[in-house]
Amino acid sequence: MFHKILSVVLFFSLISIAIAQDSFQIKGFVIHAGTLQPAEGANIVGKNLFAVTSATGAFTINNVVEGTYRFTISHIGCESKTISVDVGPNMDELKIFLNESTTELDEVQIEGKTKKREAMEVPVVTHTVSKEFLDSNRENSLMQTLKKIPGVSTISIGSGQSKPVIRGLGFNRIAVVQNGIKHEAQQWGNDHGLEIDQYGIENIQIIKGPASLVYGSDAIAGVVDIQPNVIPFQNSFTGEVNVLGESNNDLLGISAGVQGRKEKWFYRARLTYRDYGDYKVPTDQINYENYIFTLHENNLRNTAGKEANASFSVGYVSDKMKSETFFSSVNAKNGYFANAHGLEARASSIDFDSSNRDIDLPYQTVNHFKVMNSITLAFENHTLKFDLGYQTNYREEHTEPTPHGYMPKPSSTKERVFHKNTFSLNAKDSFKPNDRHDLVAGINTEFQDNKIDGWGFLIPEYNRFTIGAFAYDQYEIRSNFHLLAGIRYDYGRIRSKSYYDWFPSTIDNANGSISYVYLQRAQDKTLDFDNVSGSVGLSYINKNTTYKINVGKSFRMPLANELASDGVFYSMYRYERGNLDLDPEESYQLDIDIDHTAELFSVGVSPFLNFFENYIYLNPTSEYNETQQIYEYTQAKVFRFGGELRASTTVLKKLKLDASAEYVFARQTSGPKKDFTLPFSPPLSGLFSANYQFKDFLFFNKPQLIADYRITAAQNEIVPPEKTTEGYHVVNMSFMTEMNVFKNSSPVQMRIKLNNVFNTKYFDHTSFYRLIEVPEPGRNISISVTVPFGK
Amino acid sequence: MKFKTKYFYFLFIMLLASCSSDDGIDKDEEKPTININYDGGFPHGCEELVRGETYEFRAMVTDNQALASYGIDIHHNFDHHTHDDQVGECDLEPKKEAVNPLIFMENYAIEDGLTSYEINIRITLPIDADTGDYHCSFSITDATGWQSRTSVDIKIVE
Repeated sequence: MFHKILSVVLFFSLISIAIAQDSFQIKGFVIHAGTLQPAEGANIVGKNLFAVTSATGAFTINNVVEGTYRFTISHIGCESKTISVDVGPNMDELKIFLNESTTELDEVQIEGKTKKREAMEVPVVTHTVSKEFLDSNRENSLMQTLKKIPGVSTISIGSGQSKPVIRGLGFNRIAVVQNGIKHEAQQWGNDHGLEIDQYGIENIQIIKGPASLVYGSDAIAGVVDIQPNVIPFQNSFTGEVNVLGESNNDLLGISAGVQGRKEKWFYRARLTYRDYGDYKVPTDQINYENYIFTLHENNLRNTAGKEANASFSVGYVSDKMKSETFFSSVNAKNGYFANAHGLEARASSIDFDSSNRDIDLPYQTVNHFKVMNSITLAFENHTLKFDLGYQTNYREEHTEPTPHGYMPKPSSTKERVFHKNTFSLNAKDSFKPNDRHDLVAGINTEFQDNKIDGWGFLIPEYNRFTIGAFAYDQYEIRSNFHLLAGIRYDYGRIRSKSYYDWFPSTIDNANGSISYVYLQRAQDKTLDFDNVSGSVGLSYINKNTTYKINVGKSFRMPLANELASDGVFYSMYRYERGNLDLDPEESYQLDIDIDHTAELFSVGVSPFLNFFENYIYLNPTSEYNETQQIYEYTQAKVFRFGGELRASTTVLKKLKLDASAEYVFARQTSGPKKDFTLPFSPPLSGLFSANYQFKDFLFFNKPQLIADYRITAAQNEIVPPEKTTEGYHVVNMSFMTEMNVFKNSSPVQMRIKLNNVFNTKYFDHTSFYRLIEVPEPGRNISISVTVPFGK
Repeated sequence: MKFKTKYFYFLFIMLLASCSSDDGIDKDEEKPTININYDGGFPHGCEELVRGETYEFRAMVTDNQALASYGIDIHHNFDHHTHDDQVGECDLEPKKEAVNPLIFMENYAIEDGLTSYEINIRITLPIDADTGDYHCSFSITDATGWQSRTSVDIKIVE
């Protein structure tokens, strides 16, 4: 009921605002990439927007409303090119380089120049992910797709679920933002993934460093910012259907999206359904400590799952304002490996092997529902943006009930239930007093309410309110030299609720008597936190080289479980004890980024230095409580450094080579695990790819063959209870092509991908299943076909 | 700016170089070991224990640096929820509901930072405990916080 009322309110909030705003002019040049000569008579076509270049290659489009647009630029004898352009105050002139039609389409140049230039001028080290990248690298989950980006890795469980890790830090140290609102679920848990539909995303910005200044608490190690999609063209209706099949886990996935716009009103809708069986690993048996699990036909028993997502949005755009209200629901059910849940080896009478598609116990179900509204209003010098969001995350974990310790056998399978409601409101004003300054000030507020249920206690119920205010200025010292400096203040209050066991425990008293006590696992506590964070950076562009240096301080508020948990996590063989004295985590980081991009090659390096004043760490102690090892939340100083190297070159026009490497070093410099690293530290890793574009043949257009070779070093830096992980080499191949099947329509895209070509058995150090010796998935053939339609 | 460029590269190379040079710190990366498969070890797999009797539970534990604490946990396996990690499988009795199962959970400290120790704990099985399939798990930690565990299938009989 509440959802309905809220959605109605949000819906009508769209209509009530009408304020005058300027329209903008797009100016630019079209140039032949090979000769750098102007391209005369090139067509620039967008929906209801059209221009032809003059003899100097110049073009102008007037009366364009603020927003993001797609244009196709074509010229006789050249590859046509589609770019997306952010139209707004103080746009730079576009420079569009067209290649001769015999040359390949250079992926790097697909981004609109204004966007690229903007990113170059901001001193924050960011990485922009385009729809093209997502389409050509799509894996089983969004984060697995993004893993190809140097510095980004994942903590995964099973074939379809993973969480983001940036430079070795994950969980609540990464903020995931969708359409301006922070995604709030059970980020701290390591046995489930990110609840976001990976289809229908057009643009992601990844910040590989502290970003609390703009994003607040949790953006201490980085941000995955999923940005709103481009507004459809006027009087348009387009759509696409994507069908995906995979051999390793017998996956069938289908996702269909449509979008349309009249004059000012637009909408988008998408449905996604995926159903997959147990995934196969290249081994017959798993040897975990002294246990031997024999696998039936290499199937990792009970890892099947399914996912059904729906999203819908409606928006209004005029020369006065822009607003979009977005609804989405992500639903998933998936099984966990049946032979070991957590670290505990399990026996069961369930016939798991009768089908590789059924989802038996243990399994989880999750639903994530969101309503978000964002409104942008532009005045003469000011642009105001409001983001309002409500989201609810509901997750259940089911296991076969078993008695543990003094707990008798529970009556149901419902081990854990988490229900979290989050309300967010962000307001931001971008003010441009003159050509040199871009001042931005804003506030973020958020209220979270987390409820629990089920017979297994892990984290207490809590609610949390945070409010933060920030301001920063991007100052143009010279046209190629920019300074960004900003400061932020946050205040937060966490209220944890008490919890008592539902069963009595036996306590031996000092006088020899025995009492039976319902033990208290969490206390009623109210804790306040505040923090000042900030960032200052410089960006310098010298011809083809961009230099960036940025120093930032970020923070993260302690979580309720870090503060107040006090209970046994049976499946992990541990007793977790919270610490009410924890301070907010504070981190200082120096980032440098140097990028050189020339016509035929580009190289880049992005090192960082990082210091945590008080990293919150779940420390395994040498003590026991009821024969479970006590793990205690403590804080330690941590020193980290590392970075990424990347290089790419185009040889023989048709062949593009890319190489990248990533490395992180982490060391605790105080506390009980002094000199140890941090948990889930990704090892040194390199990725080499070759992309060869063939001549068109049959009905294949732009056929490309891509080979990826990943080489990962051993990870010998571990901390209890981890295990060292050997290095590995893995080869993936893919073939992509466009097919002009339908006349007067965009081409059908097809991709055939072969993952783990040699069926190599290897372990991923940051996989949740690593500790129970489960290798990564074996060979997988996937076929994906995308059929676009509409005009 | 040219000077700065060189400085950046220099800094990065220094960072890369420093990672290989400071591994000399003496960290404890070894788990303790635990063993019940020796003549004096008790109980062995599938052993039958008579209720009302007193037994000495024995296991050998070692560590490269310092042992810290251990736990002994005896719980029933009437629902066949798990199996042991010892060689060979025991014949389990039919599943049944627990009425008054034996629950034994105790922790003990090992003093003086010993590197080798024999666990020896006398446990009297209550005369009224449910008979049937049980599990006995031993767990051991070292001073660093590494843990090892082992568990064995046993039966409690009349």
